[in-house]
Amino acid sequence: MSLRIGIDIGGTFTDLVAIAADGSLRTHKTPSTPADYSIGIDTGLRALLHGDEVAAVLHATTVGSNTILQGVGARTALITTRGFRDVLEIRDLRMPRLYDMGWTKPPPLVERALRLEVAEKTRPDGGIAAALDPASVAAAIRRLIAERVESVAICLLHSYANPRHEQVVAAALRAALPGVAISVSHEILPEIKEYPRTSTTVVNAYIQPALRAYLTALNARLKDNGIFAGLQLMQSNGGLTSAPLAAEFPARIVESGPAAGVVGGAVLARRLDLKRLVTLDMGGTTAKAGLVENGEVLRAEAMEVGAGVMAGARLLVGAGYMLKLPAIDLAEVGAGGGSICALDAAGAPKVGPASAGADPGPVCYQRGGTASTITDCNLALGYLDPAGLAGGTLALDRDAAWAAIETQLARPLNLGVEQAAHGMLQLASATMMRAIRAVSVERGRDVREFTMLAFGGNGPLFAAGIAAELGIAEVIVPPMPGLFSAFGLLLADTEHHATRSLRMRLDAPDRGLLDGAIVSLRDSAENRLEQEGFPPDRRAFALSALARYVGQSSELSVSLPEGLDVAAALPEAFAEEHARTYGFRAPTGEPVELIALSIIGRGLPDTPRLPDRIPPVAAPVPEGRHAWFPGTGWTYTPVLDRAALARGPWVGPVIVQEYDATCLVPPGAGVRLDGFGNIVISR
Amino acid sequence: MIDAITAELFRNAVIAIGDEMALTIYRAAYSGVLKNIMDYSTAVCDARGRLVAQGLSLPGHLCSIPIALQSCLRHFGDDIHDGDVLTMNDPYDGGMHLPDIFVFRPIFADGVVVAWAATICHHTDVGGRVPGSNASDSTEIYAEGLRIPPLKLHERGVPNATLLRMIERNVRLPGRVMGDLRAQLAACEIAARGMGDLVSRHGVDGVRALMDETMDHSERLARHCLAELPDGEASFTDWIDDDQIDAGVPIKLVCTVRKQGSHMVLDWTGSAPQVKGAINNTFSYTAAASFTAAKCVMSINMPNNDGVFRCIEVIAPPGTITNGVLPAACAARGLTGFRVADCAFGALAKLYPDRVFAASDGGNTGITIGGYDSERRPFIYVDFLSGAWGARPWADGLDGNTNMFANMASFSVEVIEAENPLEVLDYEMLPDTGGPGKFRGGVSLRRTWRMLAEEGVLQVRADRRTHLPYGLQGGGPGTPSRNLLGREGEEELVPAKLTMTLRAGEMFRHELPGAGGWGSPLDRDPIAVAKDIRDGLVTIAGAARDYGVVATGGTIDEGATRELRDRLRAERGPAPDVAWRPLHEATP
Repeated sequence: MSLRIGIDIGGTFTDLVAIAADGSLRTHKTPSTPADYSIGIDTGLRALLHGDEVAAVLHATTVGSNTILQGVGARTALITTRGFRDVLEIRDLRMPRLYDMGWTKPPPLVERALRLEVAEKTRPDGGIAAALDPASVAAAIRRLIAERVESVAICLLHSYANPRHEQVVAAALRAALPGVAISVSHEILPEIKEYPRTSTTVVNAYIQPALRAYLTALNARLKDNGIFAGLQLMQSNGGLTSAPLAAEFPARIVESGPAAGVVGGAVLARRLDLKRLVTLDMGGTTAKAGLVENGEVLRAEAMEVGAGVMAGARLLVGAGYMLKLPAIDLAEVGAGGGSICALDAAGAPKVGPASAGADPGPVCYQRGGTASTITDCNLALGYLDPAGLAGGTLALDRDAAWAAIETQLARPLNLGVEQAAHGMLQLASATMMRAIRAVSVERGRDVREFTMLAFGGNGPLFAAGIAAELGIAEVIVPPMPGLFSAFGLLLADTEHHATRSLRMRLDAPDRGLLDGAIVSLRDSAENRLEQEGFPPDRRAFALSALARYVGQSSELSVSLPEGLDVAAALPEAFAEEHARTYGFRAPTGEPVELIALSIIGRGLPDTPRLPDRIPPVAAPVPEGRHAWFPGTGWTYTPVLDRAALARGPWVGPVIVQEYDATCLVPPGAGVRLDGFGNIVISR
Repeated sequence: MIDAITAELFRNAVIAIGDEMALTIYRAAYSGVLKNIMDYSTAVCDARGRLVAQGLSLPGHLCSIPIALQSCLRHFGDDIHDGDVLTMNDPYDGGMHLPDIFVFRPIFADGVVVAWAATICHHTDVGGRVPGSNASDSTEIYAEGLRIPPLKLHERGVPNATLLRMIERNVRLPGRVMGDLRAQLAACEIAARGMGDLVSRHGVDGVRALMDETMDHSERLARHCLAELPDGEASFTDWIDDDQIDAGVPIKLVCTVRKQGSHMVLDWTGSAPQVKGAINNTFSYTAAASFTAAKCVMSINMPNNDGVFRCIEVIAPPGTITNGVLPAACAARGLTGFRVADCAFGALAKLYPDRVFAASDGGNTGITIGGYDSERRPFIYVDFLSGAWGARPWADGLDGNTNMFANMASFSVEVIEAENPLEVLDYEMLPDTGGPGKFRGGVSLRRTWRMLAEEGVLQVRADRRTHLPYGLQGGGPGTPSRNLLGREGEEELVPAKLTMTLRAGEMFRHELPGAGGWGSPLDRDPIAVAKDIRDGLVTIAGAARDYGVVATGGTIDEGATRELRDRLRAERGPAPDVAWRPLHEATP
């Protein structure tokens, strides 16, 4: 039977999920192999496949972000306009931390000695202020050869308005430097503002050789396994792209892993007809929240790679490398199963962002970890099975966890072990609530109107408690919560995003210019989908505009339904979005200004990607155990597998134990299995 | 009795409210000043006006909010009702400088004020004699714009139309100012909702007790950090070159730090009398710079609130540049704030030499170019440049990073050119400008503009031309700031602070000061010098002169370097703890 396979590489595990045409699923989890991730994939494929035909391989990888985090990218040079080689290093000057004399900027991905200049100048209107000096290009090429550069980024001022000089430089480099990767700014980000454009182009150049090598190795592994289907990669924006395009624009797939789970959430939301969904993905070290509205994931216009988790204030930027590309808007906080629980210098309890990770891991792993973690607290309170995780393959020592919590937390805080452990879980929940509020409340959304989708190894343990705190009525735990990102890959569409700067006051619109821009954007998206083999009847487009009130200095994205008279309808659509986001609209007659247009071109699948139902997998679980809850204290709590839930509905306390995750239903909450196979917890 | 878990949960929640307020303003504000320069702050205060949680902690606004709010509370006493909103900007009644407009909203529960939502935003214009209301050459506050005493912007939910119309009529860009005021109100609404949730959970008395505990927790952390530091007293003197009115007359700043147990005093007694130019600090601004310096030597970055302020006392005698009195002009006191921070760091460096960096670039340089383009449309371009950190006792100073006392973004060159009749010719780092040291100071940045319109007016507020960013522990100072004006190839050096006409084709170039070095440059690792040579941040001549490193091409001549360093060590003798003049000038 023909299979589609989703492969998600994480820091610790590589997850594989395969779906057959009849909707049946196979899963496999295998340790990641950081030296060459394709080895782990190979291992997984051999376990998963039994001579099946494979129709598609859909892949999310951390190779891009790891290359940046570990500083092991290509020997990269930058070619820029004379006088501006320090734009990359100066950045926008701002720092992410205050009152910290130890702050050090991330080192520029191109050292100053390899930031070369050519004499030329294009004007903002596209006119040429100074012709490109061929001698300066020749000198740069000599230098690139002498320095044995592996990859080059080209970013000249105002190339978004006229790419001519960049094209000439790129052609000269390609001719003189065969085998050297060339990234050109107007192809990657044809938008005004030199720093974001330079940074994005440089990131692309820096990771391109590593990405190409990885994709080549992976393709070879796939062929070894008899797979000749096209490899597709998840982009940070949540859409899939073909391997050749990913190799050309690797900057677009840097945050591909976290995106897949949210995309899965969006598809599930459409299936379940949920208008508003907030996703909570909690793993071993961090938790991430995202938003899905009307079946569409919420996106941000830019992101930082390697910035670490947010400190709460998303205003403090500059910790990582800027990528000005659309990305699924995720708020990430330092709360995971491995997060360390400790007291500060004034004796106040804190959870994270320090993490014991997988190694040494929590105290209960008995691998040398001595600091109490969130997993230790969950174990001490009876929420996790003392017999071990993953069907008992990972043994846990509950006594060690208990002792660590007692000495490190309970005694200094003058609390019982149960109260201390539960308090730590509440603090972790509070941290995750900040991530959820960051993507909802801070965007003017009332989170109480949302349903929560919880996944990741630890998400289902916390979801019901957090939902109750936030006033969310219903929590959904999808099938395979611990492998949901890999599952999400199976559900994603091919997508191409394009943006074009176009500044125009809408009280005096130039309709010709506006219509021309919309047509050219649409053509470029059509061409990309054509390249990927989607016939015209399997293409869909979503147009949106960035707009603001004249005089405002930042924009809001407004989606524009097909067939709309943009010039006439945008001002009101913008005012509505403004009111929704900020709670007010400007007085009538305040002119609105268009700043840019964006399009998403989507390649639609020929068959539905989501099966009608995912049958729950039966698993051996204990009948029940004592678990501690505030109010009721130690309480005998039934333990069920997902299949047993169908005999419900049940009322908490209930623990649903699965191979890849444990779901906690607190006392008083209702729980049932829906027709698709989701666990649904309601108040 | 509050348990530790509840207290920590509350602390998280109330800080999150401050952050959500900040984000609301960031997103809804009209003005680029707010977004690019982040010149605003938000906070939650208790009923007595004490700071409980500050959202975006712009260093320059630390402790400004409680001082302004407490002034309002004195004015209105019990005359505060649900639905009221207060506003003010008067520097001589608790404010900062006129462009900084405060908006406060009481949060009621059970008929009493349980907390205050507080915001302060730097507005684009508040009238007065120059666009932007921030001229450095005004000589009294009456020239600087609209002065708003503590007043009600809303009364029991009804907007005060009289006051709003007064503001609207007195500012140059009423649309932008009114838009930004709406953003401030929206942030207060966010706080009211958030605090309402907390009151419904903990009750009025519970919230009061938890706010007290939130402040007490920061106080315990601050006292812990201060107690770790050795006791002692030290004074430091730094200078502002001049105030532009009395050109060439240096202005003295003196900071004495006294640290005893878990208490620290920063005393500005001995600083110069207030000046004619518009660079006089309010007390709150001197206090903000003092707190910033003190926080930087503490080992923990605790939440900013009243608890921190309890352990750090700031003394600034009225009538001095550190605490101006009527009718002192103060619009451009940003410069003095930066220098106050430099001076406080200098005093702290004497007490804690292993914790404090050498002088940074002295704060940003303000540049305004305004006029009319070829189609007679007005344009005004306002930019602030900064970029170099002083060398640290453990590492080089940062190159191309905002000053510690601000967190400002630089303007995009492409946007400058697209929106103004200006061409930008360069924006780059300059070699041999970072103060030499075992650890090098950050290097100077320069930016050059060419005028494309017929003519325009150029205003520049720079400093550190005659009083250089000092080096520490044997490190040399950074280079001075420079302004150059004229046609390409015939530029002339012009004063650091100036107002001049810029004509078509003429260019203006600003070079920021380089930052001070730390430790003897003769102890710098030659490999680090070689890297700087490769990167073009130190020249071969500079390596020999400043570091005693002999390089030919890309390689270090180790023998010659050893010889040269020995000779320079002997010639220069012991290096000063604080260096104000280049070290090589001391060489006979």
